[in-house]
Amino acid sequence: MTAVLERTRTPAPAHRPRRRAGNRADQLFLLPAVLFVAVTVVYPLVYSVLQAFQDVGLREVIRGGAEWVGFANFANQFGRAEFWQALWLSLVYTVGTVVLTYVGGLALALLFVHRFAGRNVMRALLMLAWILPTVVGANVWRWLLDGSYGLLNAVLRGLGLIEGDVFWLGQPGPALVSVIAATAWSFAPFAMILLVAGLQGVPTMLYEAARIDGASAWQQFRHVTLPALRPVSVTVMLLIFIFAFKTFDTIYLMTRGGPGGATLTLPLYAFQEAFEFRRYDTAAVATTVMLLVPLVLSIFYFRSLRREETA
Amino acid sequence: MRTVVRATVVMAAAVLAAAGCAGGGGETGGGDAAEPLSVWQFYGDESMPTGKPLYDLVARYEQQSGTDVDIRFIPYDDFNRTLTQAAAAGDGPDIALISAFDTAAMADAGVIQDLSPQVQAWGQQGEYFPTSWESTQADGKTYGVPHLADAYAVYYNTAMVQQAPTTWAEMEATAASLSGQGRAGLAVSGIEGAEGATGLAIRMLAAGAQPTEIDSPGGHAALESFQRMVQSGALSEGFLTWNEEDAKNQFATGQAAMMINSATYVNILREENPDLQWSVAVLPSETTGQTMLSAENLTIGATSDDVDRAWDLISFMQRPDELQVYLPERNKLPARDDVPGTAEDPVRAVFAQQLQQAWAPDAALAPHTTEVLTALQAALQQAISGTPVPDAARSAQATIDEALGTS
Repeated sequence: MTAVLERTRTPAPAHRPRRRAGNRADQLFLLPAVLFVAVTVVYPLVYSVLQAFQDVGLREVIRGGAEWVGFANFANQFGRAEFWQALWLSLVYTVGTVVLTYVGGLALALLFVHRFAGRNVMRALLMLAWILPTVVGANVWRWLLDGSYGLLNAVLRGLGLIEGDVFWLGQPGPALVSVIAATAWSFAPFAMILLVAGLQGVPTMLYEAARIDGASAWQQFRHVTLPALRPVSVTVMLLIFIFAFKTFDTIYLMTRGGPGGATLTLPLYAFQEAFEFRRYDTAAVATTVMLLVPLVLSIFYFRSLRREETA
Repeated sequence: MRTVVRATVVMAAAVLAAAGCAGGGGETGGGDAAEPLSVWQFYGDESMPTGKPLYDLVARYEQQSGTDVDIRFIPYDDFNRTLTQAAAAGDGPDIALISAFDTAAMADAGVIQDLSPQVQAWGQQGEYFPTSWESTQADGKTYGVPHLADAYAVYYNTAMVQQAPTTWAEMEATAASLSGQGRAGLAVSGIEGAEGATGLAIRMLAAGAQPTEIDSPGGHAALESFQRMVQSGALSEGFLTWNEEDAKNQFATGQAAMMINSATYVNILREENPDLQWSVAVLPSETTGQTMLSAENLTIGATSDDVDRAWDLISFMQRPDELQVYLPERNKLPARDDVPGTAEDPVRAVFAQQLQQAWAPDAALAPHTTEVLTALQAALQQAISGTPVPDAARSAQATIDEALGTS
């Protein structure tokens, strides 16, 4: 491969310097975008990571003079049960959301890939969950799950499944499941759109061949649809993982991280440390970990993608 | 190509350096006399019932002094973050209204100015309730003036409750007897975080324990009291998801016969629920009957270069005749005892009486109040969920001790 590249590089064509000049001019057009990203993304990111290595409280934020403490903040956080609890809850919440969103999105995609009366209207209605501002969606869920006048309790009482009031957001386990369900509810239409596109790309002749071989609907789904959807599925799962891992608003609005810290995921933990307890350094450790987890996952994803492309 | 990259890096560095400079020391606080004074607050905007009285008060000052004032409303949840970021960028307001409990931390960080010389010359500090005035002090200096005060008391539905309970034993029994058929005897906020710890802190104070002493006989007694009230139905388990507004709604709709809440809701109940029959009583007592102080202080930003005019506005806002008009519109109480008319409204008089027994964190605790109250709420949640009281208290005490550096 290297030899091929060497051959194509030499000898240099006569007009090469002019092409270079053209490239330079093209690249100058990128300058505003590069500067924008540098100022709005790279600088805050680097600043935040650097804070994780400094002793930063409110005083240092205002007056400066933060001391470098190396990995002391990391050691401090890694020694705190609350930090590991937040990381664990983040992973449970994220994986739960990914699974529920994917299953829900796939079910919707399988429904909406077929033509039927009212399909477009129903699809548009479903998209509302994705479009709705988070504050509206989260408050709808708070109302649905309210112990005294919530719709869920009314239905369950009507069916004779519960008696009295059940406070779903006041108990640790149900509260965690509730915020997962609310997040999956809002993400599922987005997953559906990508998966519908994936389904439409599966060649119909594969299904025809499977039918000729006598495959049942389930076997067609398992041996044709799922393998053909694999690249889209991985992309959907990775995107939902990243969205969910950094989700703050839905959880904060529904439970504020409670009850008793049962939904205090890493983003809420970082918020609490920084803006309620004013420990900016330990909050920076949490946000740095929040940065690393999806980054590592993305690297694995792109590597596997490249392997598939070269295979 | 290398030249382009180098040029890009140089320009990016220039922009970042410029951003760094902006973060280092610009000075836009007050400006010259022609610039309006800037006031930052979290009460509300001009269209909101919680914000309008402040705008009216400042408008009266503008009219009288001829000074322009620019009021900026920043919601409470964003307020401290915005204020500290602005201060770090050298771009804070002339006057900032900040929570009484945050004053010492803001002073220590250099967000606000030492007002001791102005206060000495003014000479009215003796008019303020000691607890309120104490919240303006840090390192022996005065960093603000109390703007107003608020206290928690017991609201009770007079159609259901003949006489408000005067002890916590009576409160438990009365609330239990009034519960049933979808109704609770008592409503109080118990939501995650500091807000939901107020009821427990009040109960601890009554039992003779400081809010920093959850793992003490008084702390245990307070947790057990809440456990008993939930078990008897006196208090709905749902209180763990209620903020103060939710507790008010429970009371306003008759789903709770009593509630512990601040004076904030007096006018709201009067306006929104004119048919509701209710009154207010001081908190039940045991060892004491202390309430939590809820208050804000008027401060001058460290970056303000128009301190004289800023102080002039603050002293105007604290004139007793202005407070007499302003405070009833805000549902709040004076932080000083020479404001006429406070005792004329019987409901406000009860809150004023309650304020005489207000608790506020001392200077060592103040910067960690949120953390301590959050730990108390966690203990409350655990106790209600079935964790034995000693275990819940011990766990919360460890968090509190770590926060205060006393572990």
